[in-house]
Amino acid sequence: MEQPILEARSLTVQRGGHRVLQNVSFTAQRGEVFALLGGNGAGKSTTLLTFLGLIPPESGEALAFGEPVHGNVDALRRKAAYLPETASLYPHLNAWENVRYFLSLSRSPRPQQDVAEAFDQVSLAVDARDRRLESYSKGMRQKVAIALALLRGVPLLLLDEPTSGLDPVAIDEFNALITRLAGEGTTVMMVTHDVYGACQVARRVGLLRRGEFVGLFEAPADGMISADELHQAFASSHAG
Amino acid sequence: MNPVFHIALDEWRYWRRSRLGAAATLVTLVLLVASSVVTYQTVTAERQARDQLQDAAQSIFLDQPARHPHRMVHYGHYAFRTPPPLALADPGVDQFTGAAVFLEGHRQNSATFSPAYSGPQGIRFANLSPATVYQVLVPLLLVVVGFSAFSRERELRTDQMLLAAPVGPGQIWLGKTLALVGLALVLLLPLLLLVLLIGEDRLAGLVLVAGYAVYLLVWASITVSVSARSRASSSSLVVLLALWLAVCIVVPRGASTAAQALLPIPSKVETDLAVADAVRNLGDGHNAGDPAFARLRANLLAEYGVDRVEDLPVNFRGVVAEASEADLTKVMDDFAERYAGQELAQAQLLRWASVLSPMLALRAFSTTMAGTDLAHRHQFLREAEAIRYEFVQGLNRAHASELTYSDDMQRSRDAASEKRTRVSPTNWATALKEFHLQVNPASERWQRAFPYLLLLAVFAALAAGLGLSRRTAKGWA
Repeated sequence: MEQPILEARSLTVQRGGHRVLQNVSFTAQRGEVFALLGGNGAGKSTTLLTFLGLIPPESGEALAFGEPVHGNVDALRRKAAYLPETASLYPHLNAWENVRYFLSLSRSPRPQQDVAEAFDQVSLAVDARDRRLESYSKGMRQKVAIALALLRGVPLLLLDEPTSGLDPVAIDEFNALITRLAGEGTTVMMVTHDVYGACQVARRVGLLRRGEFVGLFEAPADGMISADELHQAFASSHAG
Repeated sequence: MNPVFHIALDEWRYWRRSRLGAAATLVTLVLLVASSVVTYQTVTAERQARDQLQDAAQSIFLDQPARHPHRMVHYGHYAFRTPPPLALADPGVDQFTGAAVFLEGHRQNSATFSPAYSGPQGIRFANLSPATVYQVLVPLLLVVVGFSAFSRERELRTDQMLLAAPVGPGQIWLGKTLALVGLALVLLLPLLLLVLLIGEDRLAGLVLVAGYAVYLLVWASITVSVSARSRASSSSLVVLLALWLAVCIVVPRGASTAAQALLPIPSKVETDLAVADAVRNLGDGHNAGDPAFARLRANLLAEYGVDRVEDLPVNFRGVVAEASEADLTKVMDDFAERYAGQELAQAQLLRWASVLSPMLALRAFSTTMAGTDLAHRHQFLREAEAIRYEFVQGLNRAHASELTYSDDMQRSRDAASEKRTRVSPTNWATALKEFHLQVNPASERWQRAFPYLLLLAVFAALAAGLGLSRRTAKGWA
C-alpha cells in the first residue's frame, strides 16, 4: 500500500493542562479527502494544529509525508496550506493584498491572472476584491482564505470548518472544488461538525468524541457515505 | 525577497493606513524638524554672537589708553564659551551653565549668562533640543506605533496564518523590528541633515547619529519583544509605557536626586567664604608693607644687595602683586579643582545609572561626542582661568618692570608721578592672548564616549534576546 500522506499514530495531546486527544490513530492517502467529524471540544482543531506543528504531541506521533511533523515543521508547512475556522486575514488589506502578502511569505508568488482565477473559483465578487477586508462578511473572508489555500498549490490542505459562514451556493462550489483538487492528487484533511458536508466530499470520515477516535466511515466504491448513518452515529456519540 | 522584508513592508503599510500610527509619526516629525530648525538658528546665532563678543571684548581691552597696569588688572576681560559645532544637535549642559566669565585680578568669577535663564523666549523653546526629542519623545512614538506589532496578530488570529505560511516567530520578530527600525531611521534624517549642514566636525557628527540609531534600535527591539510576550495589545501598551516612564523619566530624575543627596556640593556662598578664609593669611597684594611679604622683601633685597625697596631695580609693589596673585591663584585653583571633582563625581554617579536606563547612556554618549558635557565645561573654565592668570601676571610684570617704586607710591599725591605710572597700551597686547575655546579632537571624545555606545549595544542585544528567546517562540509556535 502507498505511504499515507498524513498519519496519526496513537496520538495523545494536552492543551492547557487538559488531555484533548487520546490515543488517536488514522491515515489519509494521497488524493483523498479525509474528514474528522465531532462536536464542540472533540479535539478536531487540536488535531489540525498538531499536524501543523503548532502543538507538540504528548505521546504517539503525527506524521506527514512519512516524517514526524515535530522536528520537520518548516518542511511540512511549505507543503501544506492551512485554512482556519475563522478566516484570519488582515482587515487593513484588500483581497489582492492579503493573498499577495501571504503568497510572498511562503515564497510562492503568483501572477495577477492566477489570483483572479482563484477568486473566480471561490466566487468572490469582482467589485469586492479591491475593498479592504474590514468591510467583508465572514463568508467573503472565508472565500479569500480558500483562494489563498488554492494558490499555494501545495499537495496537502488542512481545513478547519472550511464551509463555515458560506452560503449554500458557495458551499456547493467549494465542495466541487475540493473534489476536483483531490482528483488532481491533493490530499485534503478537513475537520467539521457538518455531517452532510462531510458526506458530500469525504471518502472516509473519522468520528471524534471527547478526544477519542470512536469510529471510521468509508464510502462505498460507487457512492457516498450515508449521511443518515453518519448522523445517527454522530448523534449517539454526542449523546453518550 | 526574504519574508522578513515582506513583514516589515506590511507593518509600514499598516501604520500608514492606521490613523494613529500615521498621525503620531507626523507629529513627531514636525516636532523634530521644528526643534532642529529652532535649535539650529538659536545656537548658530549664539555662536556668532559669542565670537563677536569675544572679539569685541579683546578690542576694548587692547584699545584702552595708557594706564597704571593694576588698573587694567581690575578693568578685566571676558572669556566667552562659544558652543561647539555639535551643540546644534545636543546643547547638553551648555544650556544651563554660564556662557561668559569675567576675568580680573585676585578672583575666579563664576560663569554667568546661561542661555536657558537669560535668553529670549525663542531660546526657551530651543531647550527642547533635537537631542531631547530623540532621547525622550521618539521612543514614546516607537512604543505607540509598535506596541501591537505582535499582539495584534494574536488578536486578529493571523498568527496561525503567519506560522502556517510558513514563517517562524524569529522571522516575524525580525520583520516587525526591522519595520520599527526603518521608522526610527526616517526620524533620524533631520538629525543627519543637521549634522551634515553644520559642515564642521562631520565625522564626530556621524558617530553621534550612529549612537542615536543604536539607542532607537534598543527601543524598537524592546517594543516588539514586549509585544511578542504579551497576550493582549492593551497589556503590551501598559508594560511599554511603564518602561518608557522608568527609563526616560523616573531613573534619570531619581539618579540625579540621589547624586545630589549622596554627594552634596557646597553652595557658591559657602565656597566663597571658604576661599576667603583660606586666603586670609596670604596677605594683601595691594599692600607691599603687609607682613606676609616680609620674607619676599628680605630675599629680594639680599638678591640685589640693597637695603631699601626704593633702591631695587624693580618695583617692589609689582613684585608683591605678582607673588600674591600666584599664591592666591594656587588656593583658588585648588578650590576650583575640588569643586570640579565634586561635580564630576555627581555626574559619574548619574552615569553609573546608565546601566538602568539606556537614555542616560545615550545622554552621556551624546554630550561627550557633541562636546557639551561637564568635562568640556570644566575645560572652558580652566582655559579661561589660564588666560586670566596669564594677563594678570603679564600686567603685574609690567607693573614691576616699567614703574618705579617711588612713582608708584607717590602717584595719588603727585600728578607727575601719576603720569609716569601709566604704561604703554602695547603692554595690553603682550599680556592678553586671544581666547577661543576649542572642542577636544573627535578621537578623544570618541574614546570617552565609546563605553556608552557599547552599553547601548548590550541593551540592544538583551532586548533582541528577549524577543528571540525560546520562551517567546514557544508562546507563538
